[in-house]
Amino acid sequence: MKLSLSWIKDYIDLPGDLTLSKLAYDLTMSTVEVEGMVELRNSFEKMVVGFVKEILPHPNADKLIICMVDVGDGDLKEIVCGGSNVVQGMKVAVARPGAMIKWHGEGDLIELKKAKVRGVESYGMICASTEIGLEELFPLEDEDSIIDLSDFEAEVGKNLAAALGLDDVILEIDNKSLTNRPDLWGHYGIAREIAAIYDLPLKEVTPYLPHPSHSSNSKDDFKIVIDDSQRCPRYLGVDIEGLSVKPAPFWMQSRIWRVGMRPINAIVDVTNYVMLATGQPTHAFDSDLIKGHISICRAGDSEKLLLLNGKELNLSTEDLVIADEEEAVALAGVMGGAKDSILPETNKVILEIANFDALSVRRTAMRHEVRTESATRFEKGIDPERVDLAFAIAMQLFADLFPDMIVTGFHDNYPSPLVRKEIDVSLDWLEKRLGKRLSNERITGLLSRLGFDITFDADNMHITAPTWRSTGDVSIPDDIVEEVARIHGLENFEPKTIISEFEGPVNQPFIDIDRKIREYLAFRCGMTEIYTYPWVGDDYIKAILTSSDGMLELSAPPSPDERFVRNSLLPNLCKAVADNLRYFDEFSIFESAQVIFDKDFTAPYDSREKLPLQRRNVAGAFAGSQDDLTILFRKAKGVLESLSRFVHMEPLSFGNAEKPVWADDVVWLNIFEEDRGTVHLCQDKGTVHLSLRKIGNLALLSKKAALDCGIKNAAVMLFEIDIDSLKPLASRTNSFTHIPEYPMTDYDVSFLFDSEITWEKIYEAATAKMGPDSVLQSVSFVEEYTGRQIPEGKKSVTLRLVIGSLSKTLKSEEIENCANAIAKRLVKMLGAKPR
Amino acid sequence: MREKLDAILQTGEEKIRSSETLAKLQDVKSLLLGKQGDLADILKEIPKLDGSMRAEIGRAANEIKGRFTELIETRREEINLKASEISPDFDLTVPGIMPLGGALHPITQMCYDLNDTFRSMGFEIFEESDVTSELYAFDNLNFPPDHPARESMDTYWIAGHDKGLGGERLCLRPHLTGASVRYLQTHKPPYRFVYPGRAYRSEATDARHERAFFQYEALIVDRDFTFSSGKVMIKSVLSKVFGRDVPVRMRVGFFPFVEPGFEIDMGCLVCGGKGCSVCKYVGWIEIMPGGTPHPNVLRAAGLDPMEYTGFYVNIGLDRLVMMRYGIDDVRLFRSADLRFLQQFK
Repeated sequence: MKLSLSWIKDYIDLPGDLTLSKLAYDLTMSTVEVEGMVELRNSFEKMVVGFVKEILPHPNADKLIICMVDVGDGDLKEIVCGGSNVVQGMKVAVARPGAMIKWHGEGDLIELKKAKVRGVESYGMICASTEIGLEELFPLEDEDSIIDLSDFEAEVGKNLAAALGLDDVILEIDNKSLTNRPDLWGHYGIAREIAAIYDLPLKEVTPYLPHPSHSSNSKDDFKIVIDDSQRCPRYLGVDIEGLSVKPAPFWMQSRIWRVGMRPINAIVDVTNYVMLATGQPTHAFDSDLIKGHISICRAGDSEKLLLLNGKELNLSTEDLVIADEEEAVALAGVMGGAKDSILPETNKVILEIANFDALSVRRTAMRHEVRTESATRFEKGIDPERVDLAFAIAMQLFADLFPDMIVTGFHDNYPSPLVRKEIDVSLDWLEKRLGKRLSNERITGLLSRLGFDITFDADNMHITAPTWRSTGDVSIPDDIVEEVARIHGLENFEPKTIISEFEGPVNQPFIDIDRKIREYLAFRCGMTEIYTYPWVGDDYIKAILTSSDGMLELSAPPSPDERFVRNSLLPNLCKAVADNLRYFDEFSIFESAQVIFDKDFTAPYDSREKLPLQRRNVAGAFAGSQDDLTILFRKAKGVLESLSRFVHMEPLSFGNAEKPVWADDVVWLNIFEEDRGTVHLCQDKGTVHLSLRKIGNLALLSKKAALDCGIKNAAVMLFEIDIDSLKPLASRTNSFTHIPEYPMTDYDVSFLFDSEITWEKIYEAATAKMGPDSVLQSVSFVEEYTGRQIPEGKKSVTLRLVIGSLSKTLKSEEIENCANAIAKRLVKMLGAKPR
Repeated sequence: MREKLDAILQTGEEKIRSSETLAKLQDVKSLLLGKQGDLADILKEIPKLDGSMRAEIGRAANEIKGRFTELIETRREEINLKASEISPDFDLTVPGIMPLGGALHPITQMCYDLNDTFRSMGFEIFEESDVTSELYAFDNLNFPPDHPARESMDTYWIAGHDKGLGGERLCLRPHLTGASVRYLQTHKPPYRFVYPGRAYRSEATDARHERAFFQYEALIVDRDFTFSSGKVMIKSVLSKVFGRDVPVRMRVGFFPFVEPGFEIDMGCLVCGGKGCSVCKYVGWIEIMPGGTPHPNVLRAAGLDPMEYTGFYVNIGLDRLVMMRYGIDDVRLFRSADLRFLQQFK
């Protein structure tokens, strides 16, 4: 909302030493956020009133003339001008060199310089309204017309802003900070608030007393009928004759324009002016076009209404309308109809100053998608008492502008008078909430400045809110805490240290596990964390999940093909992979976020709720070359194998149970958690067997899914696990083993195996005889190789044997013997060939 | 034979002296004293010599051996004492080998910084789910039934679950504040906790607006806690996170779930409060709403508002992180673009 400082000063005298920035600061701290202040005169620097003494033809151009202009500094200036309406003796707006103007009314502001125009040097410019941003105050008569200031009393040479009364400051208020303060939507309300902040008197607005010559009340039967007093607590109608459609005086147009509205004609401008002054919307109907009396009622079902702006509405019985005897003529509190609007020949009107229910106006405005200044104000909840203020200002303006006007009818129908809010506040409680004791006098002083009435009874304070704060804004003791605190000055409350009792350490392993996983993936595994949206594109659902089954759907999604809410992190992760492959060949990323399933609805907090199943998941992707698939697979698998150790949780295991739909047919594993809750004995082997619960997958993205995601020429290993299934350990569980006293020997051996022999089998064979007393300490995988020197259908596998004894130094023969024994076993059991 | 020994002694001493590195010295040692060394050749010939000669040459050879051993040891110490045996051309400006290149998201980093700070003050961390109900998103928080935020133009409602009573109408949570009541209902007062998380609002996106954003709320509920203490809390937290004293101001603001409500601004760290384009030339940046939980919110959690009060803040992390690094487009956070994310290692 824009506010004019000079307008505010109509209602309050500001102290001479109050700077603009102080005013803006104090308003921001105590009431509303002042987002900006614009000094209008800055836009008119180096622009003055000029007088055209003489007009000479331009030697080189038919359409141009040379004006000899007096700009108040003694000598005449030669200014080349193309204005169609320039005549000798005219007062014009002259932009001097250095002024910022809009060339031909288009584009950005540029600095005006002395220049030759078709061979003749021109000092500055005689301005058209579009060139200096005044087109709404001085509408162009034709394409080439310039501003005619002959009717203004300003002396030649005077700065243009001063001459036009534009020496004003515009305050820009953040509307969001005003939503709860319907009383501040106008200059008067803001002036009242400033008066409270600085404890200044507010100037009285004289109530309208009709001049005898203005009143005839010839229409005795003039009446306003309110059918729905809930939605229309008050409606004041005045029938006025003797008006005409003419421009409003310049000062009035100028004020309306300064705060962002467009001057239209004197009648409409009065209604807008009153709204801007008081925050109370008003409306004028051409009374010739109103049949019979006015009533405020619900619209008929499917009744049509053509609005002022040309939009035709299909009304419902939910809409409150202003109707004459025939039909709806206006949408109450929102917009007038086209039928009774002010036309060029209008000379009598019915002026409406009414109060409508906030919710009703808001619903109607929303239903028909009509946003107006009026609806914006009514929606906030205006108090019906404000009608009186608006009436006083409106009638005074009509009387000033139309000395011949006659009021022929008047009816103030006020069926639901406003009740002022009453609140009881305990002084002890107030002190506790404020953290500070203020004297009764101080509290009274602060609140009465805001219009509250207070009486004390021992510890209790009985407060009656002013009418303009009684429409919902102030209703409970906590509101009084705020009122006292903000007017006392929030900065006048000393900082208070926080006192707390020690209640033991914070211990939240299930919260911390998510962070541990993220830090492990980022810092130990070198992966980069990404954030994506919870909605998923249809393309990626199809590519990765094949269908949207089990996914919730948004009723108004960000875009039509992003309707579904993710039940897996993988689709968006794959999109991120595809996007990043444009810039990188090899990378790894992960995301930890919630996934949501359209099933298992529960009420974990309140029995009235039905919340869907929601789980924390973490998913990762490793993108790399298709040539190094084993390496890529081992990288991804290694991250998950070590996860439980580094994150301190129960171990995970891998196996094949159920292939994910997006996975390659061969390269996929399910991830299981060992579920200790359900340990049972397997009879056949006589060993304790832990039942396994599937908590995620690790797999290569299938060729088809990759192509559907737009991923070409890259292999992508993906994993996703359910964090909520993981079981964090209470503390670290690593145990200490003694450092061997005798040397351990690393012994690398390579063998050729048939391709289908798995590492698991090789490991089992190699470690088959390993026991507490054997010299073989461990067997590990070094590398696998297939390539030129390796025959078709074979692979070379290198193992590292760690051989040593805990009780002595082995002789080299003993080491060799151990290695040979393993080699023999591999040859015998798996058909290996030593390399 | 004698001459041979003298020659060995002479060249040997010379070789030892001219050895510049331990490796070279080791080579020289093998050459002189090793099994295939010059001296060894002599020693092999000794048995072939006459008795007296044998003794004399043997003694001389042993003397030389002792001499060499001594010289080598001396030389070894000399080399060890030298500052470096590495070529002075060694390039110190070659870049180091980077450790693993992973990174947490810059918002996660900020979230963890805040978690650590609040935890150090005894706050618990609370999490709740992304999908919530109208009951918790609005009703419990004192939003009037007709509040615009409830409209589908502001909130993402779930199709098929967007009718019925508050508990049955589901949406992607439009803010985190609803979570506070969940925590209050399941814990015992006094409360001190933070709840970080994602929130969603249906709006057009641009460099300053996002549909998904990250909020961080903190709530204290106790018998005696005023907004003046709240200001101290905010100031200490921000100063810890930004590593320097951060000016904080509270001004009046309106939010349905708090009363009194505040807008909390921090001094612009870019210009130090003098005014710049980041703070729109006011020296302050609006970073969070805050205030005392509205009595209706406390009631929804089963607390008596005349007995309990507290302080609440909701920090928009996207904005705070933008300020931390000077990021000018909020959409980058959810772009998953590694060219952006890898800058925050």
